[in-house]
Amino acid sequence: MFDKLQQAFWKALTPDLVPDEVKAVAEPIAGLSAEIVAALGGVDNLKSQQPLALTRVRVTLHDAACVDRQALSMAGVSGVMCLEGGVLHLITGLRA
Amino acid sequence: MATPQQLQLLAPLSGVLMALDQVPDPVFAGRIIGDGLCIDPTSSTLCAPLAGVVSDVQASGHALTITSDAGVQVLMHIGLDTVNLAGEGFTRRVETGQRVEAGQALIDFDADYIALHARSLLTLMLVVSGEPFASLVGSTGLVEVGQPVLDVVVGAAVGEHPAPMPGDAVFSQPINLPNSNGLHARPAAVFAQAAKAFSATIHLHKLQAQANGKSLVAIMALQTAHGDSVQVSAEGEDAEAAVAALTRLLNEGCGEAVTAPAPVEANAAEMPNILRGVCASPGSALGQVMQVIEASLTVNEFGAEPPIELEALSQALIEADMALQHLRDTASGQAQAEIFKAHQELLADPSLLDQARALIDAGNSAAFAWKTSTDATAAMFRSLGNALLAERAADLDDVGQRVLKLILGVHEQTLELPDDTILIADQLTPSQTAGLDTRKVLGFATVGGGATSHVAILARACGLPAICGMPLQMLGLGNGTRVLLDADKGELQLHPDAESIDQLRTRHERQRQRHQQELAQASEAACTRDGQHIEVTANVASQGETAQAMELGASGVGLLRSEFLYLGRQQAPSQDEQVATYSAIARTIGPAHNLVVRTLDVGGDKPLAYVPMDSETNPFLGLRGIRLCLERPQLLREQFRAILACCELTRLHIMLPMVTNLAELRLARQILEEEARVVGIRHMPKLGIMIEVPAAALMADVLAPHVDFFSIGTNDLTQYTLAMDRDHPRLASQADSFHPSVLRLIAMTVKAAHAHRKWVGVCGAMASERLAVPLLLGLDVDELSVSVPLIPAIKSAVREVNLADCRIIAEQVSNLESAADVRAALQQFHGAKVDASPVMEN
Repeated sequence: MFDKLQQAFWKALTPDLVPDEVKAVAEPIAGLSAEIVAALGGVDNLKSQQPLALTRVRVTLHDAACVDRQALSMAGVSGVMCLEGGVLHLITGLRA
Repeated sequence: MATPQQLQLLAPLSGVLMALDQVPDPVFAGRIIGDGLCIDPTSSTLCAPLAGVVSDVQASGHALTITSDAGVQVLMHIGLDTVNLAGEGFTRRVETGQRVEAGQALIDFDADYIALHARSLLTLMLVVSGEPFASLVGSTGLVEVGQPVLDVVVGAAVGEHPAPMPGDAVFSQPINLPNSNGLHARPAAVFAQAAKAFSATIHLHKLQAQANGKSLVAIMALQTAHGDSVQVSAEGEDAEAAVAALTRLLNEGCGEAVTAPAPVEANAAEMPNILRGVCASPGSALGQVMQVIEASLTVNEFGAEPPIELEALSQALIEADMALQHLRDTASGQAQAEIFKAHQELLADPSLLDQARALIDAGNSAAFAWKTSTDATAAMFRSLGNALLAERAADLDDVGQRVLKLILGVHEQTLELPDDTILIADQLTPSQTAGLDTRKVLGFATVGGGATSHVAILARACGLPAICGMPLQMLGLGNGTRVLLDADKGELQLHPDAESIDQLRTRHERQRQRHQQELAQASEAACTRDGQHIEVTANVASQGETAQAMELGASGVGLLRSEFLYLGRQQAPSQDEQVATYSAIARTIGPAHNLVVRTLDVGGDKPLAYVPMDSETNPFLGLRGIRLCLERPQLLREQFRAILACCELTRLHIMLPMVTNLAELRLARQILEEEARVVGIRHMPKLGIMIEVPAAALMADVLAPHVDFFSIGTNDLTQYTLAMDRDHPRLASQADSFHPSVLRLIAMTVKAAHAHRKWVGVCGAMASERLAVPLLLGLDVDELSVSVPLIPAIKSAVREVNLADCRIIAEQVSNLESAADVRAALQQFHGAKVDASPVMEN
């Protein structure tokens, strides 16, 4: 209960959040498109995400096996680096 | 010239290609080092693109060069600005001089570590010998490790090596390298590029070693470090011009931003009469200069048999530990004892020892191994861009030096001090200050250090004035020079005249008298002349401090920094321990006064071992204070429960730090109410928030109905309002809470609170400044929470003023344009309204 409240509250704090019209699995997360989130196994599979190192988004997944590489590539992710502990680096190119 | 042949270079990594022009680094994008390609890696082992000899591996493992038999040189550079990692995250699998096959593994790297700690993972493969090549893969898309990517035309290199002209070489003066990581790839490339513009043969010398000044790889192979002394030599027609230009380039950092541009020169003629720095500990003193210089030690790289060297190291470590224990036992204060305890912990650090042991096993001497491993770790601390860690690097240097002296058998000589000494140093280390006879020292002035540095802590503990961030010139002052150290103004005056000296003496005498009087009246109430009562409470972080505060006349605690329960330990404090501590403090204060407990206020800049956090680029704008607590609600819940246990013992107030939005307050209140229900509390404690984020001050009218009180944290409010770090050596003096913008935010907060009949306190450093008292009272602040020793002084400052006068001056100064103007106006007010009238009221 508290977690949900807290999540809602953090979402409200994030200014660049896309308004959540669709409460679908592919709910967009700040910085990641809906397609990418879906390809990562949906929002429930996503533990954390952090843009870093100029060209990458570091995501932590509950289950890295749910990742659809093909779909990621279609969604504009040019490279994927799988690391230990469910950590993935998505190479999304230089951020402006 | 041989017939051109083709040489295929293989991709050193799998990954995504990026056009070289796009690489966000002007040196690489501008092809200053050489042309080639850039890969954003998806594999984490760098493999040889060609067969040849490893002509250079950087000690930090982030860059490597291979030279083929035909002379093609290929440099690989993993990541951008990765030299700052000082080797962390990289494992070298080859050594300089080793022959490697195409495709052989060269360097393993921890991609996640590098991504989290460096600017980028973008990896460059550059043909530095300058042969033309054709790309086999274009400039975008994916490549697989081992896939042919470039076709190099061998034997067509443009670079030629003219025979050295006969004649004498011109040498430069020795230059101390200002670059924090020595001449690593980028500055080396800038240097080589500049050297190529001259026809003379150019060499760069470091001790006995020398390198062709036009060869990037040769310069990098010198493995220079910060502060290394190097010389440039040139031989040929334009030798003089080359040496002059390259010397200037080296001094200026070869395109890198450097802090210490010029070598220290003791030039008395150019020394201004007043040197300026930043106040690290208030006060003033008249004395004579004593320079503290650390003797440089000679360390041989190679040692005897590893078992002998290992024995020497462990013997020195044991002796150092004993010496530190002795210093701890005889330390003059708690703060110093804590520092030496931390030093003992550094000595026992396994990673330091592992590094040193590995070097000894490789044939190095104990001294060299120990120095290398402590230097590397200190460099890493410094490179993390965190002021606190950088200060700890100074501690590590200090411990390193202590052990090194023991290994080398150099005896620590205690400094013989004359009376009335003002100590001058680049940096003062804890070991240097430990043996000092503080009765003979009147003050400190250092080039390095900040508000959190060791000197600052020591000086404040001893009540001595200190300034830091002084110009390098100061180190050129002769011992025995008469100086006047005015830390309040951040000034060191050389050869003060009789008038300044007299003024200082009178000031001291007056201060002494006033201090005695203040102490005598400490227990009396703090009421203005026109009868307005002001609560003067204390900022504390322990039960001992609370007791001291109550003795000095505090009417309660306005800020209990609960972090002290959490910091410096491996596990969260238990519920029982928390309850016991809060209860003891509450009992000390008693039921007649307020106890304001601030909930845990930590963030990425001082992470707790048991609250793992992702590293943040800017911790001061990250998960701090209430933000962190709401991320980890269990921590907050437990703290609330423990605080609630002392509800009956005192007038309990709970205060939330870093609140930015009403939602945060609501969430925290909900948790508090849930906990109160569980414990079965009848009277809820008061709940308030810190006003330290400008957003909260601006929204005070929205927040006020939902709180019981506000307390203004002027330190953070100032740094967030002015966007200036208060520990920044250059900005610290401007990051002043007296800035009119901060005053307006305070006024806004008070107005909103009073409209809803809520009280407002100020618990930042501003409240502990005498000069601020009329201003804060004039802004209608109800409570001043001050640092413990200053309670009597602030109470007496309250008694000196009329609230009506204060309101007028506060109104006026809020319309001034700068903090300096505000201070000047308040000084004038002080002179006119306070000093002119007797202080013996009440």
